[in-house]
Amino acid sequence: MATATASTPARDTGIGALLRHRAVGKLLLLAVAAAVLVPIVDARWASGAWPDALTVDLTEPLGKTTDWIIDNRDSHWLFTHFLGHVSNAIVLSVRGVYLVLLAAGWAGVTVGAGLVAWRVAGVRLAVLASSAFAVCGLLGMWVPTMQTLALMIVAVLASVVIGLLLGLAGGLNDRIFRILRPVLDTMQVLPAYAYLLPFALVFGMGVPAAIIATVVYAAPPMARLTALGLRGADGGVMEAVTSLGATGRQRLLSARLPLALKELLLGVNQTIMMALSMAVIASVIGAGGLGDRVYQALSTVDVGQALAAGIPIVLLAVVLDRVTGAAGERAGAPADDRSPLRGRRGWSFAAAVTVVAALAARFADRVDWPVDWVVDIAPSVNTAKEWMVDHIYTGVPVVGGTADWAANFTTWVLNPVRDGLQGLPWWSVLLVVAALAWVIGTWQTALTAVAAMAAIGVLGVWNKSLDTLAQVLAGVAVTLVLGFAIGVAASRSKRLERLLRPVLDVFQTMPQFVYLIPVVALFGIGRAPAVAAAVVYALPAVVRITTQGLRQVDAAAMESSRSLGATSWQQLRQVQLPLARPALMLALNQGVVLVLAVVVIGGLVGGGALGYDVVFGIAQGDLATGLVAGVAIVCLGLMLDRVTQPTARRAKKGA
Amino acid sequence: MSAAVVTTEDKSGTTGEGPVFAVSNLWKVFGPKADRIPGDSELTALDPAELRERTGCTAAVRDVSFEVNKGEVFVVMGLSGSGKSTLVRCLTRLIEPTSGSLAIDGEDVLAMDKARLRELRRHRAAMVFQHFGLLPHRSVLDNVAYGLEIQGVGRAERRAKALAVVEKVGLEGLEQRRPGQLSGGQQQRVGLARALAVDPEVLLFDEPFSALDPLIRRDMQEEVVRLHREEGRTMVFITHDLSEALKLGDRIALMRDGRVVQLGTPEEIVGSPADDYVRDFVRDVARADVMSVRSAMRPVGEGEDTPGAALAPDAKVAEAIEAVARSGYPVRVMDGKRCLGVVDHAGLLAVVAGTDPARPASAPGEVVA
Repeated sequence: MATATASTPARDTGIGALLRHRAVGKLLLLAVAAAVLVPIVDARWASGAWPDALTVDLTEPLGKTTDWIIDNRDSHWLFTHFLGHVSNAIVLSVRGVYLVLLAAGWAGVTVGAGLVAWRVAGVRLAVLASSAFAVCGLLGMWVPTMQTLALMIVAVLASVVIGLLLGLAGGLNDRIFRILRPVLDTMQVLPAYAYLLPFALVFGMGVPAAIIATVVYAAPPMARLTALGLRGADGGVMEAVTSLGATGRQRLLSARLPLALKELLLGVNQTIMMALSMAVIASVIGAGGLGDRVYQALSTVDVGQALAAGIPIVLLAVVLDRVTGAAGERAGAPADDRSPLRGRRGWSFAAAVTVVAALAARFADRVDWPVDWVVDIAPSVNTAKEWMVDHIYTGVPVVGGTADWAANFTTWVLNPVRDGLQGLPWWSVLLVVAALAWVIGTWQTALTAVAAMAAIGVLGVWNKSLDTLAQVLAGVAVTLVLGFAIGVAASRSKRLERLLRPVLDVFQTMPQFVYLIPVVALFGIGRAPAVAAAVVYALPAVVRITTQGLRQVDAAAMESSRSLGATSWQQLRQVQLPLARPALMLALNQGVVLVLAVVVIGGLVGGGALGYDVVFGIAQGDLATGLVAGVAIVCLGLMLDRVTQPTARRAKKGA
Repeated sequence: MSAAVVTTEDKSGTTGEGPVFAVSNLWKVFGPKADRIPGDSELTALDPAELRERTGCTAAVRDVSFEVNKGEVFVVMGLSGSGKSTLVRCLTRLIEPTSGSLAIDGEDVLAMDKARLRELRRHRAAMVFQHFGLLPHRSVLDNVAYGLEIQGVGRAERRAKALAVVEKVGLEGLEQRRPGQLSGGQQQRVGLARALAVDPEVLLFDEPFSALDPLIRRDMQEEVVRLHREEGRTMVFITHDLSEALKLGDRIALMRDGRVVQLGTPEEIVGSPADDYVRDFVRDVARADVMSVRSAMRPVGEGEDTPGAALAPDAKVAEAIEAVARSGYPVRVMDGKRCLGVVDHAGLLAVVAGTDPARPASAPGEVVA
């Protein structure tokens, strides 16, 4: 209480103070603008949903473009001389990697993965890596796992090389950096799903489109972190290196790049995780592999099969994340390795053992995963699911069933929010967007947000987008309530944080697609499960950012408030939460972006709206519908990101 | 234009060689269209705040001229923001000077092309930095050998050279450590070793010991004194610490707002401050430790004859006080066989109290450093 009473008398409460408050000033300005513009707009186009007069029908031109591409794919020079080669090169390299993996056999791959993990990350992760691959085999998913792995290897290599080159350019040249930075920042907030269609259109369904979409999705973090790492090199060290007479090349190779090693490895880690996420989603445009198995199984609501394919995805994600993460941490620490197998010798040893294992399996005629070692979990999972359908879907006394919850959530939350949004006059939606974005951010972010929202209207998918928006809003609300509650609790209890950490770690590494499996098992299909998957996906990030934000509150401020005798509730409310405001805003921003990413994927499990249009477009070959929906998703993503983008974020990222 | 009060005659004549660094009318102005400032006499007359307001520019170095002689320790001293760090960076064009002239061994530095400038940095002037500037991913030995590596020296040779330097600065046994595992003092020894390893003609120090604890700082200062005694290398030393400047410097340039306000020996700076700023600056100095007996000397009086104790002309006042107190009489100051004068209670007290109006230490011809 002490702080509050101390500051109250100093506050002046007149109208002047109100006007001086920046947020109020902005809102007043907007209100004035609205008072002038709304009557005009209303008279001209009427209120209600987005006026038809202001839409542009893109179906025909897009349809024509699609037809043209399909007609000319084999004849036009653009395809025969450029894109065709790209496409062939991709197919060849994926095929090559796949054949190498198959030739190595399950023994070679399992042992090889373990040894690589051992070299870069130590014994514990080696065991984890090897057993993860063994489990993939056990589940009968060896071949799809190898397909996904082959896709991943090619996509990650390409992403890392491209990201590194872009990052180098941005890191060494200010002008390129200024151009690159907003583009990369924006690309990172767009849902993976929106990247699929353009590439499917140009390259047709299949591996090339999937790889290119993956590279485009996964290269930005590498480029961004490379550029930031290179720019962040200690000025004192760089000056010292220059003072010794180093040439530009020497400065880059012997100082700037090694100094940025941590960021580079973090970039590789993020690129791998995003590539995996995308490689799985890209099954929708014909990537094959594990994602395809999940996709096929989900389309027939075969939870058992979906789970059997989903577990290897999760395992791959966890192994790849831990191994690359550990490699990054090791890079920073001094090398105290005194074992006889350090350095090059260790690597040759690993390679030799891998070859021996592969050959041994070959001579034992066990190249493919032995059929009798496969445990088919699908039937038992499906039995369990049947039991759940019978027993907990509905009619459980007092709490009701999961299907009931889903139905209630749809009836009482999703429908009213959607109908409410769709019932609003279109200009009022724009006004609200402008007001929120401007109050939280700057006039630039507000302008982008309004423009993005208007673009949605122009594209003629206003109502569908508002449906998706309703799902996002509901999802974000649930995510924030749960996330802040858990985050606050975890920041106050070390024990809870310790318990949560491994769970959050695993959840944060899982590809978006995988979240659909358990929610379909629990809630069936529909909009509510899509929102549930989105909540589960976004929750870990929100919890983590909240906890960290509250934890990192200046210790001196906390101590002084405690010394004044504040209760812990007062501390939380008056010190921690206000001081952690930037972190909470970041959590909101991340929550919104992540929820949207999964809500649109929810189109695969009955989420409807824009997500469904994309799936429909792909499935029916009606790429025009899909593309329009994809662009609308991009606009929605942009709008949501800008609306929740605090001014401080840009500055913080530059540090 | 120069406000600097040069109270020392140039000693370069005594060695017969030109100065190592010759700097004249050097300017460094930061900001938009910085080039126009040095030539515009109206703008150069402004003080820093006015200049910034008028032009948006900051003049970090203003019309500085000095020469660094072979084998001397030349200290540039000033408070933070006085332009001393910018000045030392201008010497090897780590920061490009705006105007003026700058020569090393008579060769125009500002006219050097990139390759020639690299040559200068590689072989002729090496720098030691306040924050060390070590490469965290390399071992101590590889950090020390880094300058040689850049020059293209072979691995075995540069390691052998680096090892010798590592021993010279007292880091034996730590060769394989990473900089992050060392204390601040040890890290600066690595920085010093890295500069020494390329065997430069001049060592440039940019506040090398400011980030260190007082005790470590003293050790490092003594290390520098020792190195200078052993090798006689020319050094340019930047510091904000007056006692460090007085301890190490053969000559000191005192900077304020980008100008050199006084250039002279420690004794001259303390004994005859050029203006109130310098006077204020040196007020708390233990004058007895800095001033030599010359400044307390008076001519031998009529019929005065003081046999017994004698002092060299370079002896510090503190020693003279001890000698006078012990004998109870004025003490002679002897330059070889020649008696230059005597010091007595009154003269010594006047120096210590600082009441003595700056009297010329001696006639120029008598200075034999």
